[in-house]
Amino acid sequence: MTDSQDTSILDGLRVLEIGLGVSAPYAALNFAKLGAEVVKLEPLEGDPSRTHGPFPNGIKHKEKSGLFLAYNHGKKSICLDLNISQDRDKFESMLPHFDLVIENQNLGFFNDRRLGYKKISSINPSLIWVSILPFGEVGPYSQYVADDLVLFHMSGNAHGMIGPVDNPEVEPPIRAGGYQAEMVAGLTASTAAMVAMHQRLKTGKGCKIVVSGLDSMITMAISGIANSAFGQQPTTRELSKEKGSSIGGMVSAIGGVLKCNDGYVAISPREDSQWERWLELMGNPRWADDERFATRENRQTNVSALWELLTEWSLPRSKFDIARSGQEKRIPCFPVNTIEDLLADEHLAYREFFVEIAHFDAGILLHPGLPYKLNNTNIPQGISSAPRLGSHTQEILERCT
Amino acid sequence: MGNFPLNGLRILDFSWIIAGPTAARHLALMGAEVIKIGSSRRPDPSSRGAAFQVYNQSKEYCSLNLSTPQGLEIAKELVTTCDVVIENFAAGVFERIGLDYETLIALRPDVILVSSAGTGHTGPDKDYVAYGSLLQHYTGWNTISGYGKDEPIRGGLWADPWVGMELAMITVAAINHRMKTGKGQYIDFSMAESLTASIPAGLLEYQITNQLPTPIGNDDVIKSPHGLYKCKGYDAWIAISIQNEVQWGSLCKLLDIPKILNSSNCSSPKARQENKVEIDQEINKFTSSLGNYEAMDIFQNHGIPSGPSLNISEAYSDPHNTHSGYLAPQIYPDGATRLMPGMPWKTEESEPVHVIPAPQIGDSNHRIYMELMGMSSDAYQECIRNQIIY
Repeated sequence: MTDSQDTSILDGLRVLEIGLGVSAPYAALNFAKLGAEVVKLEPLEGDPSRTHGPFPNGIKHKEKSGLFLAYNHGKKSICLDLNISQDRDKFESMLPHFDLVIENQNLGFFNDRRLGYKKISSINPSLIWVSILPFGEVGPYSQYVADDLVLFHMSGNAHGMIGPVDNPEVEPPIRAGGYQAEMVAGLTASTAAMVAMHQRLKTGKGCKIVVSGLDSMITMAISGIANSAFGQQPTTRELSKEKGSSIGGMVSAIGGVLKCNDGYVAISPREDSQWERWLELMGNPRWADDERFATRENRQTNVSALWELLTEWSLPRSKFDIARSGQEKRIPCFPVNTIEDLLADEHLAYREFFVEIAHFDAGILLHPGLPYKLNNTNIPQGISSAPRLGSHTQEILERCT
Repeated sequence: MGNFPLNGLRILDFSWIIAGPTAARHLALMGAEVIKIGSSRRPDPSSRGAAFQVYNQSKEYCSLNLSTPQGLEIAKELVTTCDVVIENFAAGVFERIGLDYETLIALRPDVILVSSAGTGHTGPDKDYVAYGSLLQHYTGWNTISGYGKDEPIRGGLWADPWVGMELAMITVAAINHRMKTGKGQYIDFSMAESLTASIPAGLLEYQITNQLPTPIGNDDVIKSPHGLYKCKGYDAWIAISIQNEVQWGSLCKLLDIPKILNSSNCSSPKARQENKVEIDQEINKFTSSLGNYEAMDIFQNHGIPSGPSLNISEAYSDPHNTHSGYLAPQIYPDGATRLMPGMPWKTEESEPVHVIPAPQIGDSNHRIYMELMGMSSDAYQECIRNQIIY
């Protein structure tokens, strides 16, 4: 369907990432995956994610760190030490050659090095500069320091991550895995940058955008924010006090996970018609007529007893079989996949979601591709692997001086 | 309507529930004119709750019965005036209604159609019935979170807002592409893939180590100490994350625990992880007599990354979020003033976000059908009588 002379959606866009860890590197990765040229500026010792791991056979190697490889393919790497004036000059000479900068250095990093936005914009007035800061530049916490753990917990998202617990005084709320607070800040920065590019297409002018990591995470709790604005209290984390549905998605009569012989299956036959079909799937067990399970409300009230009966049925069965036959009856249910299951998933394979990338040192690895198909533009084929530290320094500087 | 970055764009929003409406909401806050289309025949399920008020801020809202031929014709006429069409029905539904991409480009050749579905619009499982909460299990997102001991975690309501932001991003990218090339776009979006793409490190960890990632809850692979510590008050906790040796030094000084500091056992994060029980005990001893905010101020004044673990209502009430301008007062039709969210970034070069309260279904009927489309008063009344504008 794609026209062969089409270019990719961000073709010709030049992005400079001055990122550490996850948030800014992920934002820049979104641009690389859509066809922009992304140059990653690293300190001499490299992005700290190069030392994070995991490493093959547990042997440290700055080109083989899993965390680094996950967020930096499709980029070029240039090494500069912005603490010395010579390299700052080089940095300034690079600025006219870029459209967009994405950075997540500590507050004040660029001002302290006489590279404040005023100066930057005088060098390149059409440059878009996106800063990611934990608390933004305004407000009582703007000088405070925070990372993924702190932001996840301050945003209100952690209390709904696990179901209610026996004793909230002993079992704390938890954050999600995979540095999700940083991911959210990165995705938000990508959106903000696209909007700034839109404005630049109209005016020719650049701008500076400050993304707040905390506000980005609160935007993820958008439903809870609305509930709070209208005076609704969040549900308790204490199991004995839990009654109905809550901010969380997996709640008793609404749905939950069932143990199977090969893991778990997640089911949600929440509407009465779905519930009827679910009972059919189970062969209409005798207890189905029980008054305790007759309505959604009753199922909610007697959810423990219900879940025991359901588990009795699911335990000797496979999560994949239950999900497949459930979906055949239009019941919302999915296997709880491990990473191994995902990589073998036929549907994702059909959509060619995973992308194989060969890295000089780390070998061939499957990465997630773009979660959408576009009909009128090329998705860059054969995206390059994550760069070796500083491997494009000379190339970039020659082009810019 | 002010000077907002997406001024001049018109978006026809057929989406419902959470993910699609949230994406359109973001675009509306940035100045796009978003016309939400719904019908009393099949009301948006989210309109029952308060959350609707945020998913649909700053939108126009028209009623239209797409199951009638005339309703469909009105929708098609609207498409000719719109830059973007957003929908998030189950795969195939929009086509069955009669608004497939081929039809839309015949009406408006450079239209951008954003179609979001649970597992996308191609492939063997495209018709799978999906909820965001289930997709979090299907995509591995939940399996990398939690304590890793018992059953999979619940996972919160994560999928839809995450997808909402990613949809907004790619929609604006497609709009920009059109400005440069004149070409529209069909975006076949998979919520499942969006979630899996948000755990790239977990996917690589499995391939690099041949072991499934183990959820580590509040712990960290590298940093230590790193976790939640009990404060004074019911379910009150503070999150503390020590990123480097300077911060570790500050913590030891603050807690007055030289015996730990002096111990060579604790001179690296790895060593501290091995002595986690003893160190955590010391920190808990210090925090348990403090309120969570009090603890944050003390730790932050010593340069230690920290903050209270809040439930959503507490996060909503946190003074930072009003001082930063993220939450701003809005006057509602019931006369009440409520703090409502904007967008999570700021720029000096343009006005703050365009926020107005969410509409009710049909609020914009007159304006859109008569003023914008030029429908006569008689025709308009007849459409209402015949349950076409319905």
